[in-house]
Amino acid sequence: MPDSSRKAPELTAAQRAVLRIVQDTLPDSERPFAAIAEIAGISEDEALNLLRGLKDEGRIRRFGATLRHQRAGYRFNAMAAWRADDAEADRLAAVMTARPEVSHCYKRKTYPEWPYNLYAMIHGKSREQCLTVVEELKAATGLTDCLVLFSVQELKKTSMAYF
Amino acid sequence: MDMIDKAILDIIQSHYPLVSRPYAAIGERLGLTEAETLARVRALTGSGVIRRIGANFPSRGIGWHSTLCAAKVPADKLDAFVAEVNSHPGVTHNYRREHEFNIWFTFIGESAQAVQDTLAAITAKTGVPILYLPALKTYKIKVDFAMQAKPQAGEA
Repeated sequence: MPDSSRKAPELTAAQRAVLRIVQDTLPDSERPFAAIAEIAGISEDEALNLLRGLKDEGRIRRFGATLRHQRAGYRFNAMAAWRADDAEADRLAAVMTARPEVSHCYKRKTYPEWPYNLYAMIHGKSREQCLTVVEELKAATGLTDCLVLFSVQELKKTSMAYF
Repeated sequence: MDMIDKAILDIIQSHYPLVSRPYAAIGERLGLTEAETLARVRALTGSGVIRRIGANFPSRGIGWHSTLCAAKVPADKLDAFVAEVNSHPGVTHNYRREHEFNIWFTFIGESAQAVQDTLAAITAKTGVPILYLPALKTYKIKVDFAMQAKPQAGEA
């Protein structure tokens, strides 16, 4: 993963105008970047170069379509929260991230009443498929203390407006 | 959704071409015209499979702070708590999950302090304590969903 922890350089007003559009969704056009550039008051090449540059630097993590995964067939998501020895976390996380069903994996802050430190978001076409992944991860990691939190209702899902 | 739609989705989730005529470039890879490709993308957007097409920014990369939050919300406070939480633009995802900690949401703010201050304000207003669970280490963020049985070359 590219180093993206540095502060972003200052952007011009036109560049911010481009990013305000692409943080939401592209115009419906054969030439979407020309349409964006026109709104921002720059050339199509300048808009494309800005986006390519930000993507190369890792300041844009991904550029493309975001799917509603329920409609794409992946209806079930389970957040598996694991209690792992902190010194072993990196090695165990590598086992989890190797699975294509795991979309997100993090080590997070813990509390006495919430000792779970490793999180793997598991997607599947059925509940059973998610649970099978959990069982296989248990076998592969040797971890036993795991909570499986299925989502039962999506209450909000949007993209952040940063610009 | 047919095989061609699936092939288009496998390309445009992570490899949307940053070129002047992206749909011509995608079509070229699949033996479609630009017009056919754009029509299929429009149909996939219209039917709700595609939520948006754009840039995903890692919040930290642009100097912001993001965290996961969890709360144990009693049934009689659920609606009011969810309404309060969702009213904050920094809350981008919110799910009810099967557990005593039944509400899980992500929160993005301009700094760690700003995020914690807002969480404290939500608690003061609703009477519900919130677990602040920021990432200490990110191991994977991969939100592509393979549509075709066989992954595309170049996708890990």
